[in-house]
Amino acid sequence: MIELKNVVVKAKNRLILDVPELHFEKGKRYGIIGENGSGKTTLLRLLMGTVKASQGSIEGLNLDHKVGYLPQSPYAFSFSVLRNVSMTLEKEQARETLAFNTLEKVGLAGLIHSKGSTLSGGEKQRLGLARVLAVPKEVLLLDEPTSATDIRGTDLVEGLLQEWFEKTKGLLIFTTHAPAQALRLADEVMFLEDGKVIETGSPQDLFNHPRQEETRAFLSHWVI
Amino acid sequence: MELINSILELLFGSDPELRQIIAVTLRMSLFSTLFSSLIGIPAGVLLGANDFKGKAFFSRLVNTLLGLPPVVAGLIVFLLLSRSGPLGSFRLLYTVEAMVVAQVLLITPFIIAMTSNLVGVNANSINETLTGVGIRGTKRLKYFLLDFRVPFISIILAGFGRSIAEVGAVQMVGGNVQFKTRVMTTAIMMQTNMGRFDFAIALGLILLLISFLVNSVVNRIQKVAADD
Repeated sequence: MIELKNVVVKAKNRLILDVPELHFEKGKRYGIIGENGSGKTTLLRLLMGTVKASQGSIEGLNLDHKVGYLPQSPYAFSFSVLRNVSMTLEKEQARETLAFNTLEKVGLAGLIHSKGSTLSGGEKQRLGLARVLAVPKEVLLLDEPTSATDIRGTDLVEGLLQEWFEKTKGLLIFTTHAPAQALRLADEVMFLEDGKVIETGSPQDLFNHPRQEETRAFLSHWVI
Repeated sequence: MELINSILELLFGSDPELRQIIAVTLRMSLFSTLFSSLIGIPAGVLLGANDFKGKAFFSRLVNTLLGLPPVVAGLIVFLLLSRSGPLGSFRLLYTVEAMVVAQVLLITPFIIAMTSNLVGVNANSINETLTGVGIRGTKRLKYFLLDFRVPFISIILAGFGRSIAEVGAVQMVGGNVQFKTRVMTTAIMMQTNMGRFDFAIALGLILLLISFLVNSVVNRIQKVAADD
């Protein structure tokens, strides 16, 4: 279990995140929703250690190779797509085969010889996911993993995440701007506003019966 | 007409001094570019790709050194290597090695600054991506070097261009000694002062030709590196 206690993140005296208490349990999928600038990305970066807390503590997360993080705009290196994935598999004997198999899963097998830097935004996100999934992980932290993918790509990514979760029973934490995605993927949804966790609950409860005024206001913009 | 004949004779003849000048010029430029690149590119990546205390100071320092006049660099190296200087016992003054040291002092800040600016643009995104797959610390350097391999070649080429065209510092620490430390730029200056314009023009043309050939080879290497 990952536990955050009295965590505050500030940047140039501006409060970015203020979390008195929050925990994530292994074997669950958490969807984090909220407006732009609500602190979703900062929360993931904090867990990944790329952002430092001004105060408070985070316990239970060992940042080793079993934790994978996918940034919102993953970088695609200028070498081949295949090498973009095999770079994470340096210790493996059959790394090119493993990389190819993972790329096949994300639908990029036909682009293995293309330069990573020539891919579209959605393809880069799928490449980033392949890179993260190429090595077995127990914890996945994904920052809007489908923000640039088309509906087919989104379906593919969500299917892969379901498959990963069923296989590993690990911990999945993802941010999304699409409440429908949280409904499909998450066991628990957190709504963030101005760096604070306003409300948490099951997707059904939070979306159908939001308790807080802020959550209701945010969800009122949800148009299908 | 006589001038043109004289130039052609020098270009296609076998003047031993000219051959020596070309050899010294290439030796000095290649070694100074090599050492400057070996220092400057990793240093530039470290500066551009990381946030650390004192980064702003180091960036300012590098940018200040960009404006270092060649004669000042020459003076520093001269004082260091002169017989009474701290490195005088090595007896390097008026050697090609001394010229390489002066050139490294001049070119390294240039390579650091260009590298740092280049990688700095995407550094956050690259760092975040590498951290996400468990590649941290100094291991990241390899991927920066691989990712920017093509533009790095351009930076190295620009460093070579500066090196081969430099005159002030190499004149001071090399002394323009015939058959020893005379390079094309110092020779052009000397021949012009002596009124031997044919020799000076021939050297200028050869200098341009070498730059053109080096550029052609480097462009080919860039294409191969980009396709890799």
